[in-house]
Amino acid sequence: MAVTALGSTEVVRPSVRRRRLEDERWLALVLLMPTAILLGLFIAYPFFEGVMLSLSSARVGDPGEFVWFKNFVKLWHDSIFWTAVWNTFWYTAVTTVFKLGLGLWLALLLNRHFRGKAIVRAFVLLPFIIPTVLSTFAWKWMFDPTFSVINWSLFKLGLISARINWLGDADLAMTSIMIVNIWRGVPFFAISLLAGLQTISPELNEAAAIDGARPWNRFWYVTWPLLLPVTMVVMLFSVIQTFADFQLVYVMTGGGPANATHLFATYAYQIGIVSGLLSEGAAVSLAMFPFLFVIVVAQLLYIRRVEVR
Amino acid sequence: MANTKRRSVIKLAGSAAAVASTGMAGILASGRTPAYAQTKTVHWLRWVDFVPASDQLMTKVLMPEAEKDLGIKIKFETVNGNDLQPRATAAIQSGSGPDLIQAFNNNTYIYANSVVDLTDLAEELGKREGGIYKYCRAFASDGKMFMSMPWAVIGGMIAYRKSWFDEVGVTSFPKTWVEYREAAKKLKAKGHPIGQTLGHTFGDAPTFTYPYLWSWGGKEVEADGKTVALNSKETVESVKFLQGFWKDGCDEGALAWDDTNNNRAFLSQTISATLNGASIYIETLRKPDQYQTEKGTPMNKDILHAPLPAGPAGQFGMHLNQSDMLMKYSKNQDAAKEFLKWIHAEKNYERWFVSQKGFATPPTARWETHKVWDEDPVMAPFKVAAKLGQTPGYAGLPNQKAAEALSKYIITDMYAKAAQGMAPEEAVKWAESELKKIYSA
Amino acid sequence: MIEGALWRRWAFSYLPLILFVVVLLFPFYWMIITTFRPDGELYRPWNAPNNMPFWTTKPTLEHIIYLFEETSFARWMFNTMFIAAISTLISLFCGVLAGYALARLNFPWAGSLGTLIFITYLVPQTLLFIPLAEIIRDFRLGDTPWSLILTYPTFLIPFCTWLMMGYFKAIPKELEECARIDGASRWKAMAYIIIPIAVPGILSSGIIAFTLSWNEFIYALVFLSSPDQKTVAVGVTSELIRGDVFFWGSLMAGALLGSVPVAIVYSFFVEHYVSGLTGSVKG
Repeated sequence: MAVTALGSTEVVRPSVRRRRLEDERWLALVLLMPTAILLGLFIAYPFFEGVMLSLSSARVGDPGEFVWFKNFVKLWHDSIFWTAVWNTFWYTAVTTVFKLGLGLWLALLLNRHFRGKAIVRAFVLLPFIIPTVLSTFAWKWMFDPTFSVINWSLFKLGLISARINWLGDADLAMTSIMIVNIWRGVPFFAISLLAGLQTISPELNEAAAIDGARPWNRFWYVTWPLLLPVTMVVMLFSVIQTFADFQLVYVMTGGGPANATHLFATYAYQIGIVSGLLSEGAAVSLAMFPFLFVIVVAQLLYIRRVEVR
Repeated sequence: MANTKRRSVIKLAGSAAAVASTGMAGILASGRTPAYAQTKTVHWLRWVDFVPASDQLMTKVLMPEAEKDLGIKIKFETVNGNDLQPRATAAIQSGSGPDLIQAFNNNTYIYANSVVDLTDLAEELGKREGGIYKYCRAFASDGKMFMSMPWAVIGGMIAYRKSWFDEVGVTSFPKTWVEYREAAKKLKAKGHPIGQTLGHTFGDAPTFTYPYLWSWGGKEVEADGKTVALNSKETVESVKFLQGFWKDGCDEGALAWDDTNNNRAFLSQTISATLNGASIYIETLRKPDQYQTEKGTPMNKDILHAPLPAGPAGQFGMHLNQSDMLMKYSKNQDAAKEFLKWIHAEKNYERWFVSQKGFATPPTARWETHKVWDEDPVMAPFKVAAKLGQTPGYAGLPNQKAAEALSKYIITDMYAKAAQGMAPEEAVKWAESELKKIYSA
Repeated sequence: MIEGALWRRWAFSYLPLILFVVVLLFPFYWMIITTFRPDGELYRPWNAPNNMPFWTTKPTLEHIIYLFEETSFARWMFNTMFIAAISTLISLFCGVLAGYALARLNFPWAGSLGTLIFITYLVPQTLLFIPLAEIIRDFRLGDTPWSLILTYPTFLIPFCTWLMMGYFKAIPKELEECARIDGASRWKAMAYIIIPIAVPGILSSGIIAFTLSWNEFIYALVFLSSPDQKTVAVGVTSELIRGDVFFWGSLMAGALLGSVPVAIVYSFFVEHYVSGLTGSVKG
């Protein structure tokens, strides 16, 4: 229906066209067209190709044949894959909690009046705007077992007596990567939550204060519920980005030591590109989709509920 | 859009999709004048060289000369070595991209379906220059065809600090692992451990772990290339020994080092020895007043190179092998072949080789006697790097399966797991099961 | 009651704030120091007695000079900015229109269409870039900035659309209705009444979109090949990391200078950005 109608709008006289645009449905169609074309071309088709790839036995330069879910079955028995799954969840959960906590705290601080407010607000955004690959190289050097400036500082402060092997130890390597992700993410959370805070009229808080509510209660019963919708939206975007993170791990550890830091995306890359097993790499990438989908739908539903309330 | 007429249809076997396309040259030329489009363009993708002077020589001298001699246009592109594979994959899948792509080690087997047979060129080179080393041949040729043109080997040798080894009474470099461990123990006690990575890095980790495994008599598969033979007494023995070696003599921070970390650690005098290309030494030559020993003498006078020690089963090496693949999708295969011939001609290749100062070892025997090796005794051990090499996947071919095992860092991870405290038997069992997954598929 | 004693203000506002700023900005300080540090000082182990990680006595400009003389850094900067700007404009155009339609018009499947657009944001890049390479080839866009300008919107549009949806929802319906009673067409009401009101929201989604495209790495690596076409992130990593030798000084100089333009944009717009987001989160 839509397609034929589109064809006819082009030949009808202007007055008819204008009348058509008065109809919400036609207007919507026109407005959505550019998005639909771009996304259809550059996402829908490649996505379809990607799905087909994951169901085949393709290697680089060899289209292979259709094998149904063989690749996924193989993944199910792949210990490294499950490490990557676990890592991704752990990575996403921990960093999101910290980004939210610290970001909220920073937003509350930035929401107060002090001199140089504008400049501080602009500066704390820096970690978010520098290209990830490049800032990660800087961090990599700060974590370098031989040159770590962090070790130097902790040592001089008397907090440690021997160096910390940031990227060499399996658990610490994960922690180090999380630290960098949190460092990158906090400014985004802070600024977005700050925007949310500014929609809350100060009178509400003052009224609560006059009623004798303690600061913590004021936050918990007045500010937080009002901030919840924006928090959820910000978290949604952050979770998606973190879950599919690639650059950071790729630069910091390449998934090592001993596969301890692989995420979905880096493992997919390792299999698909480095080993040339395109189909299996696509399967790993695609396996991320349902997980992400469930998380996101849950969040979206929650947002709806919060909004309705 | 001057030359969009030059189309060809690439059939993707197995799918009905047939896609019209022009090559890289077509894409490139589409925005320019028609006259330009007449010239053939050969696009060569290589890693960005360790030795900056060599890349300069390529772009400023050799490429312009080749353009003039051959009447073609050459697009010389360098990327980070880690980024060659995504580029190759995308190019093959989309059927357009560089005409010549550099392959590391047995990457050639991964892309075997998508390359042009270069047997005539390679055999001619071998005949002219005293034979291609077995090591380089195994990576470039699967016995039926030459998947790539052997370019060079980046030799991996242990760079060590002469004075520090002297201090602990080791005046000649240890010949066996047992001796090396003894020396390492003393060195570490003095605060100068050995630096060796077991991380996910293509250069320094597998070039240590594979030869190490072989020197103990371990192997991935039997000679049939199918039967996984990793779980043997020898392998377990090697893992056990490594655990001790790691604790006694190595810098334990090195577990996740990438190819760059050991250079820095060595240059900053925190480690006494490390397996590496010659890049450490070359760096100290480049800036002699910046890299000095604790006594204030130039560090480059205190560096020597030695091959990895021997184990019960012998002495092995594995080096970064580079070769150039001519891609099937290329529209300028003839021009690209002409270019390969040109660049491998002795007078051209020699200039590049000399600019490497021994960093790269050519794939043929002829160059063993080149005067470059006499210039600096410190570099001399590298001249036989390619001669002593053994290929991954031993005792089978370095084929696609072996490439997959290598790219998944299975052997490296086996040792890394043990170094982190996993029981040797378990680490070996884990690696065996991973290998079985690859070789049974 | 609201503002406490001086020590309280310090303990609960200034100190934590200072701590935040220090931690967030420390890596930048580190980059600056590295940029100006001579190579000899770079290679001092952390526990060396003469190690002064926070200062350098012999600052040098050699790394910056190297960056500009030996690499096409200026060119990369221009490319990155050009690509980011155009792809942001395209995404905004699409996102604003789509956001408006989804938020303010009644038509069947509006809700599911919104979700669908959002879901496209979930498709992992590592899955997409190989099929995308085929499309790029078919359109003969390889090695041109357009290969990125047209693919970046795939992850920018969903983002912009959703942000704009929120913003449009917050604008009262009555505004449009008034305009339409005055005789304006639906199209005019949108173009001249609603979209101008939404400018802060457009600005803030534009800024985020600009940052995201500034950051992108995989597509830029795969789709571009001429040294002169590369973006900052790809160019810097492919020319300043030579095998196992990092040109640390120049690398950090590149990272730093590469983030300056965005930083300037932000410092101008940060207040708008906040107010823009404010509008969209109200919804």
